[in-house]
Amino acid sequence: MNDLEILIAGVVALMGVGLYGLLFTRNLIKVVVALQILVKGVLVAMTAAGEASGQLNLSQTLIMTVIVADTIVAVVGLAFAVQVKRLFGTLDLQALSNLRG
Amino acid sequence: MEDMTAFTWMITLPLLASPLIYLLGRLVKQDGPIVSHWAAVIALAITWVPFVIAAKELNDSGPQTYELGMITLRLDDFGLLMAALSLGLGTLVALYSGPYMSAESGQEKYYTLLVIMIAVMMGLGCANDLFNLWVWFEGMAISSFLLVAFYHEQKPSLEAGVKYLVQSAVGSALVLLGISLVLGQTGTLVLDDIRAAAADSDILLAAGALFIIGFGVKAALVPMHTWLPDAHSQAPSGISAMLSGVVIEAGLVAMLRALGSLAGVSDSWGELLMAFGALNMLAGNLMALRQTQVKRLLAYSSLSHMGYMLLGLGVAIYAKESAGAEGGLFHMLNHGMMKGLAFLAAGALLYTLHVAAGDHSPLTISDLSGAAQRYPLTALGLSIAVLGLGGLPPLAGFMSKWQIFVAGFDTRETWIEALVVFAALNSVLSLGYYAPLVNRVYRLEPSEIVRQGKPMPVLMTVPTAVLALAIVAVGIWPDLLRWITEPAGKALLAAFGL
Repeated sequence: MNDLEILIAGVVALMGVGLYGLLFTRNLIKVVVALQILVKGVLVAMTAAGEASGQLNLSQTLIMTVIVADTIVAVVGLAFAVQVKRLFGTLDLQALSNLRG
Repeated sequence: MEDMTAFTWMITLPLLASPLIYLLGRLVKQDGPIVSHWAAVIALAITWVPFVIAAKELNDSGPQTYELGMITLRLDDFGLLMAALSLGLGTLVALYSGPYMSAESGQEKYYTLLVIMIAVMMGLGCANDLFNLWVWFEGMAISSFLLVAFYHEQKPSLEAGVKYLVQSAVGSALVLLGISLVLGQTGTLVLDDIRAAAADSDILLAAGALFIIGFGVKAALVPMHTWLPDAHSQAPSGISAMLSGVVIEAGLVAMLRALGSLAGVSDSWGELLMAFGALNMLAGNLMALRQTQVKRLLAYSSLSHMGYMLLGLGVAIYAKESAGAEGGLFHMLNHGMMKGLAFLAAGALLYTLHVAAGDHSPLTISDLSGAAQRYPLTALGLSIAVLGLGGLPPLAGFMSKWQIFVAGFDTRETWIEALVVFAALNSVLSLGYYAPLVNRVYRLEPSEIVRQGKPMPVLMTVPTAVLALAIVAVGIWPDLLRWITEPAGKALLAAFGL
């Protein structure tokens, strides 16, 4: 395996873990963690893309920006989690399925 | 800073004003909420100056560009249409929110986020590379998460916020993966350069699919729409109007920009958009038919209207004729006005009947019985909005749907003609839930809840009246908006290299 293939394997593994977490966990904090893992997988993909196309500077700039934006999303998600725990008394997503139809 | 042109001021002015709005609201002890409300209204009113100058410059000397290091912003007619929609509805919503939010705590945050959201959506229309596009898109997403869950002490709002955040975040991760694929394959992120470099490759096809799914979450393409009815019905009504009238359209604009750069990769983008359009119309209308809550009904109707826009845009990309795109973008503007008015009028009734009494329960259709006798102007506004959405002449919605349908028939392809007939039938179907609403408002005796309703604040009547007049005016003289929709449709096709 060359470097690029190893990176791609890493992307697939990280995104797989993230998607698995999103589909099968019901705890809101774990969902936020899964989202983070998913995005980190994408960031590895972006590094690989920068390396493959010789545009490493561009991809690094993009990655730094994505990390910042994604952290804000995680912070908002965790703030929601705190509020969910306060109002619903649980972090189980099953409790958050009252709006239907 | 000297080189900044009018259109960059149009984006930066609200962004610079937003922290001031927050600080003013915080620092002024007694009248903080009122101060932040008027600060937001004034900031948005001043933003109209650079907007008008930018529109004039665009008209005189073609697309404007602004470079700051690696970042390039470019205003073309398509971006101007997005800015007009965002700023136009945004200003009215800021005005409207004064009385609506008067009893809430933390209003300075509401106005700050609203102004930021309006600014980033104008920026999104001006993005010239995928990197920029994603950053503006994410900025819009984050500000709208917080606004959807603004009633954070209400269980349903929080639930809607969580659903919206998780689905949006997955969507934006998929968009990023698509951007990585494009970067790896072409070595550039500038939209025009990608279109020049893009060859027919499977990897870029996958990137296009990721863009459709990722941006499609925000544009509420069925089946990625499940966040929409919850978010639109639980957000404060002004924000519902913004979400439905501008935010989902911004998702569509982002998708079209990204797909335009990949135009050479596949010939089927147009067909794909039309297919999603048909799905959206049917699913939106069928779900709306069985709703009992007014804002939820309007939310589902947004799905079907996204379908009409997709049909027009898909026809244009498929047939390489700008008529369909002009119709689709015309409908985007009209839908912004009509759905904005519908949510604002429904929100005004929700406010006087429920919220003003400190009650956060949803507005049901049966609450509206006889509302016209007590609130004649608001009821008239709501009726104009829903009848326009249903496509009755001579209202704005009829004109844009007509233009889309004519563009479809002009292709002389049987299956597109069948699709247009399907869309027209859907339009008739939609009257099945709009007409009973109007009937209930006008012909039934006032319900107990209407009789006990609070008086309607003037600041909430003014934006609804402005929008209602605009809808009737555009319906009677559809050429009023041609100056913006015609060049925007051509600019969109130019972005697809056609």
